[in-house]
Amino acid sequence: MEENEDVPKDFIKLKSEKLSVDEVSELVVSPYCGAVSLFIGTTRNNFEGKKVIHLEYEAYTSMAETEIKKICRDVRQKWPSVKHIAVHHRLGVVPITEASVIIAVSSPHRAESLEAVMYCINTLKASVPIWKKEIYEDECSWKENKECFWANSEK
Amino acid sequence: RLSPRRRRCRGPAAEGSSPRDGGSMRCQVSVLYFARSAELAGLRCETLSVPREITSLQLWEEIVKVHPRLAVIRDQVVFAVRQEYVLLGDQLLVLQPGDEVAIIPPISGG
Repeated sequence: MEENEDVPKDFIKLKSEKLSVDEVSELVVSPYCGAVSLFIGTTRNNFEGKKVIHLEYEAYTSMAETEIKKICRDVRQKWPSVKHIAVHHRLGVVPITEASVIIAVSSPHRAESLEAVMYCINTLKASVPIWKKEIYEDECSWKENKECFWANSEK
Repeated sequence: RLSPRRRRCRGPAAEGSSPRDGGSMRCQVSVLYFARSAELAGLRCETLSVPREITSLQLWEEIVKVHPRLAVIRDQVVFAVRQEYVLLGDQLLVLQPGDEVAIIPPISGG
């Protein structure tokens, strides 16, 4: 029998293939945990009355992974009982209704993983160098998260 | 249309040690462009010679000399120098040869 304490792990992946909720949740499942909390960010088909054809994501990949690792480190400081964290973000073209990001966190009891998942997505939107472009019928537009920590809200 | 995957870095033809100027020392840094800044600059990556010691705002101005179209996004961008965010302003940067300097427009991940 393996004497495996199930050492806490972070699973971070940026990839252009379709994301899998099953895959991401299975990464964080642990016999020591009674809860797995999940967030799935999906692409909407409309913005301010315009029809969105699809989204395109790009990233400063190496720095994005580093920033996501920092988020995981912060999660573990704030919620020490959190066991595993998985953050998968899709890059390139993402068709409507498909997932652009999946975040899964496991913890012994549910409160910590629920709070940690919310913290992860909120902080990702504020600090991870990933960009989304919405492609409409006639034009396209680089989006800007309101959470972006340096963004000037006055235009 | 810029391909998001291929990032061939434009750089000087010949690599060699640059002789010290009588004045300010310069070094070659890799400048990375993303999102709107890549569209405005027309490329994703290049090597530029910049002063080794320079404020972040001066560094922006050096880059805008090369790519004047970037001026329109000045109020929206920050830098990432060696993968740490730096606001455009008085912060003094001490650059090393080969450092990565990225132009970071407002992010929209998630």
